Amino acid sequence: MFLNAWSLSLVVCSIVVLFLVVNAVRTGVRVLRYWDPASDSTLQIGLENETWLASTLVEFALAVQGLSLLLFILAADNYSQVIAGAMCATGSLLANEYGLPTLTLKLVGFFLYGFWILLHQLDIRSEVYPLVRVKYVYLLLLIPLILADVVLQTLYIAKLDPDIITSCCAVVLSDTAVESGNLLGILPQTAMLMFFYGTIAVLIGCALLINNLVPGLKSAAERWRAPLSFFYACGWLWFFGLALTAITTVISSYIYAMPFHRCPFCIIKPEYGYIGLAIYFTLICGAFFGVSIAAAEVLGRRPELRVPAGQYRKGAVYLSLAMLIVFTMLSSYHFLAYILTGGES
Amino acid sequence: MKKNRAIEKQFNLLDYALSSLWRRKLKNLGIIAVFALVIFLVASFQILTGSLTETAERILAKTPEIVIQKMSAGRQESIPVIYLDRLADIFGIRAAVPRVWGYYFNETSGANYTVMGVDRAAMPEGKNLAMAIEGDFPAAGQGEAALGREVAADLKLAGRRTFSLFRPDLSLKSFRVSGIFAASTDLLTADLIVTGLDDGRDLFAIPENRATDLLVYVTNPNEIGTIAKKIADRLPDTRVLTRPQIHKTYKVVFGWRSGFASICLLTALAAFVILAWDKASGLSAEEKREIGILKILGWQTADILVLRFWESLAVSGLAFLVGCTAAYLHVLFLEGSLFRPVLLGWSVIHPSLKIVPVIAAADLLLIFTLSVLPYLAATVIPAWRCSTVPPDAAIK
Repeated sequence: MFLNAWSLSLVVCSIVVLFLVVNAVRTGVRVLRYWDPASDSTLQIGLENETWLASTLVEFALAVQGLSLLLFILAADNYSQVIAGAMCATGSLLANEYGLPTLTLKLVGFFLYGFWILLHQLDIRSEVYPLVRVKYVYLLLLIPLILADVVLQTLYIAKLDPDIITSCCAVVLSDTAVESGNLLGILPQTAMLMFFYGTIAVLIGCALLINNLVPGLKSAAERWRAPLSFFYACGWLWFFGLALTAITTVISSYIYAMPFHRCPFCIIKPEYGYIGLAIYFTLICGAFFGVSIAAAEVLGRRPELRVPAGQYRKGAVYLSLAMLIVFTMLSSYHFLAYILTGGES
Repeated sequence: MKKNRAIEKQFNLLDYALSSLWRRKLKNLGIIAVFALVIFLVASFQILTGSLTETAERILAKTPEIVIQKMSAGRQESIPVIYLDRLADIFGIRAAVPRVWGYYFNETSGANYTVMGVDRAAMPEGKNLAMAIEGDFPAAGQGEAALGREVAADLKLAGRRTFSLFRPDLSLKSFRVSGIFAASTDLLTADLIVTGLDDGRDLFAIPENRATDLLVYVTNPNEIGTIAKKIADRLPDTRVLTRPQIHKTYKVVFGWRSGFASICLLTALAAFVILAWDKASGLSAEEKREIGILKILGWQTADILVLRFWESLAVSGLAFLVGCTAAYLHVLFLEGSLFRPVLLGWSVIHPSLKIVPVIAAADLLLIFTLSVLPYLAATVIPAWRCSTVPPDAAIK
């Protein structure tokens, strides 16, 4: 189903990302071959200039990738109006076997590009550019991911089959009455919510400890900072998955005020005040900053990066904490409103 | 404090970017005009598609849930009214009525009319049908007809109340006009002549016990699929169409046509992107000197990149606003007249329906992706090339 404005815009996004990253990689290959910080040849000066280009290109590609993630979900929602058996984005993503892998890959890609930007930002804060090689090897490793993203997305769109009236009996072929399934089955709600809020509490406590905000425990926090940072990062990784599951199985149905509608995608629609956009934005950003603290911790062991990495870690902990709190408020709002007012107002 | 300084720096860069755009206003206004035109084309299609889908949706809400057509050798033919008896004991059917309809080619004007003969008394929504008509609904068996606005204009009635159409054997069948359809239903009724069931049969010379298709009204919309399956089982020689499916077909067709049009427009977009690339990369000696001076004054490569980014954003943002506004006005006041033939079909009588522009945030995002994104991507590399101009370029 390529002849559709949504499909076209996804294709345009892919082309733009490919174009940008391929250009960045060209620089990357040259940097890996000829980079020599000690030299002051024209080549080296040219390469130092080119690293600016590469970073701008990847930053831009990251923005496009974020947009394409949003577009992909909106497109899936749009496709659901023409695909047999699909009632919302869930249905059209499950319409063939490439839908969910594409979505996952786009999500993962968003994080991985983000880490590249992080590496770059830390790198240019040090005078000797210690991470240049690491950065460009990482960039080369991103290429297969981007290609896989493009291929999967193309396959997904190509295999979509709109349900239009055929010349034989249309009813027998299409199963219009089939309700689109939910992504996940019913999980025990109370246990899920306990895990959810429990993890949030642990993460908040951990963030306060890392940034020395607990008065009595300053020296201990200082000593245990490295393990705490790793624990915090792992906690965010776990929380990211948990939150997505909780949104799908518990929280979303409170937002819809429909017990059997458990869809993680419909909450981004205008009918629900775009609350889903805010929820996912805070969750994804929070998870990125949270997880990146581990990277900052590892990179901070290099003496030349100790100061910028430390600064970054401090900022990232605050940011992830803020995102976590906003996320918790947004995602709990409908649930609490339901519990407190005893029903949908 | 530090954050404020950073924001202030961005504002200053934006300020400089705007003034530098203004200094080269002829070149930049040219780019904005062409870009706005491309965005206008893309946006018009998008808004028009949304509005047409919305209109079709609104009108289809009142149509029968299921239509049964008899098929013979893969083609549709008239259906025996006796088939209705076989549906009598299916639960959930509110009403099932026969309908006669077909196309009538008017040789004098070269237009095609859709003639429809219905039995209003048997139709559950019959009363509502009468509400769509300014005048009266045609009485059964009296040779009366209600006309769509375009038909009335095409027949050049000019106040006359009667007109005649040819039967297949070229004898004349005369009708008396009982009413005209309201303008709000033009998408469906522009080319329509509605008359009684028997008058319709008379005009098309369809035998007494046959109809063109059967309409089935279902009480519970959730049961449409099940009932349609049951009907298909009992009447194996028929094609059963359901409203949700017709709905989807409309969506697909509008989506397909606008997608096709967008592909055609992509060539225009590609041409524009190449133009933008070219304009951005051709550095004049003057520009080189300017950047050299900025560098000597202490600007970094990153600052100039940001400056160029603000410039691109200002140009594309302005073009986006102008293009989208123009497209909205085009659909609102001109009813998308540039592109409506592409989306609605090529029949001689065009429904001149009143389109209300429907524009969602998602549509704007789509237009943005299709136009601004490629532009920004195309200007990144030229921007970098210009930001790496060495400081000594100023004195060369």
